[in-house]
Amino acid sequence: MKFEVASVDSLIIYFGNTIGEEVASRVRGAFFALNGSKEFIELIPSYTSLLVKYDFIKYSFDEIVELIKNRIEDSKESKVESRSITLPVYYGLEVGLDLEDMSKSKGLSIEEIIKIHTQKSYFVYAIGFAPGFPYMGEVDKLIATPRLSNPRGKVPKGSVGIADTQTAVYPRLSPGGWNIIGRTPVEMFDKSYEGFSYFRVGDRVKFEAIDKDEFIKLGGEL
Amino acid sequence: MSGFEVLNGGIQASIQDLGRVGLSSVGVSEAGVLDEYSYNLLNQILQNPYGTNALEILFGGVKLKAKGEGVFALSGAKADITLNNKKIEFYKTYQLKDGDILNIGFASKGARIYLGVKGGFEVKEEFGSSSVSIKEGIGGSVISPKDFLKFSTCRQNYNVLLKEEYRVEFENVIELRVVKGYQWDLFEKKEREKFFSSTYEVTSQADRMGYRLSGEKILSSVGGIISEGIAYGAIQIPAHGEPIVLLKERQTIGGYPKIGSVVRIDCFKLAQAKQGDKIKFKLVSLDEAMKSCKKFNSFFREIVL
Repeated sequence: MKFEVASVDSLIIYFGNTIGEEVASRVRGAFFALNGSKEFIELIPSYTSLLVKYDFIKYSFDEIVELIKNRIEDSKESKVESRSITLPVYYGLEVGLDLEDMSKSKGLSIEEIIKIHTQKSYFVYAIGFAPGFPYMGEVDKLIATPRLSNPRGKVPKGSVGIADTQTAVYPRLSPGGWNIIGRTPVEMFDKSYEGFSYFRVGDRVKFEAIDKDEFIKLGGEL
Repeated sequence: MSGFEVLNGGIQASIQDLGRVGLSSVGVSEAGVLDEYSYNLLNQILQNPYGTNALEILFGGVKLKAKGEGVFALSGAKADITLNNKKIEFYKTYQLKDGDILNIGFASKGARIYLGVKGGFEVKEEFGSSSVSIKEGIGGSVISPKDFLKFSTCRQNYNVLLKEEYRVEFENVIELRVVKGYQWDLFEKKEREKFFSSTYEVTSQADRMGYRLSGEKILSSVGGIISEGIAYGAIQIPAHGEPIVLLKERQTIGGYPKIGSVVRIDCFKLAQAKQGDKIKFKLVSLDEAMKSCKKFNSFFREIVL
């Protein structure tokens, strides 16, 4: 663990230098160890780090570092349940806006792209960029595709995208440069959810291909 | 129930308070007032509880018509304001009567004007705050003609006027204190020195999310980093080398290297800067920065009206 000043009232803890599940699990462990205590005003877990905004009126930098170390140490034994979630996705051409281009650039059929995307489960590394936007990884190198050189002004809500080896879902209509391969009918961010976000850092997500009828039946919009 | 009918919504005016707490782990930006100094003063004058919402008006150009009765005051950027075509002052409480027309002109100095009412505006809070997060569409939206901004009827105006000494001064060159942090070590000594000795200019890309500056380019040893949480005031140095200071509506995580962060109370000054305004950065110790922030927090309790 390496502690760095982030601003006058926040610090950032680095748990490693490379993206991977081992480092991400430690980020997640620390996040759940500190979450809910009033000394920590804001927590932002990401791939290899945890940003902590703290009560600087009560604690100095050194004091809060000490407190964080103790909390993380104390929680080492407690395991936070990691959830496995299946996300239905309609991979039709009318919603998979970049499927055809990807098929050409990758030398794969559309069916193959879908098969590769749905065959493994992905780890939720971070939620950010927009409310409920899950950064998941890692997709098979065969379908890893760089961001669009010309980002879209409007990516439809529920769009499932790929950027390099990452995959994600756009929670609402927004600009974006990820390669869009399908659409989910599931809301990513909703007040009725506990914690408001459909996914939590550390969840394991598997995509499941559904047909158009089912997509519509589940509330999806074309 | 009283309120303002919006006749002209201006460029970008939105209800703001101190923002949302505890949701950045799921990607929700904190939002909230950009200039907490002017905003806190406003609530002090109105004798509102700390954190009562106000209307944040970018540049001005807002025209409102009163329904019912209330008490209001203004703070922040300097502009010509009239109530029924009569010029009125900032930092002073006024009584509103039914049919009054409040006209907020364009700012001659500063960028954000705050309009507060006694008791605050009655809006539906979302996630514990009435702040509008414009990009996310959380907490409502910017005001537009025909909107009605409700507030409690109030007939007791104590004619409070804030002393001159507490009012905001607008400087020609804004000095922002910075604490080193994040990827500081990825910047060579000569690049850091360049950063702190240069004068930057505010570009047209300056909004509630952040301020992009132009001037001396700073090089870091890497173009990008693994995406990580972004603190209020963080100074990003993208590959083009010109700094971006991130403010209240920043995205929660990002992958540009950061040289450090502007001390939060100085972000309020930056939020009053306009395109072309000059910015200088000054390195301070974390200890010094914390002390000045603590002083800022207790300052508002000491104001004598």
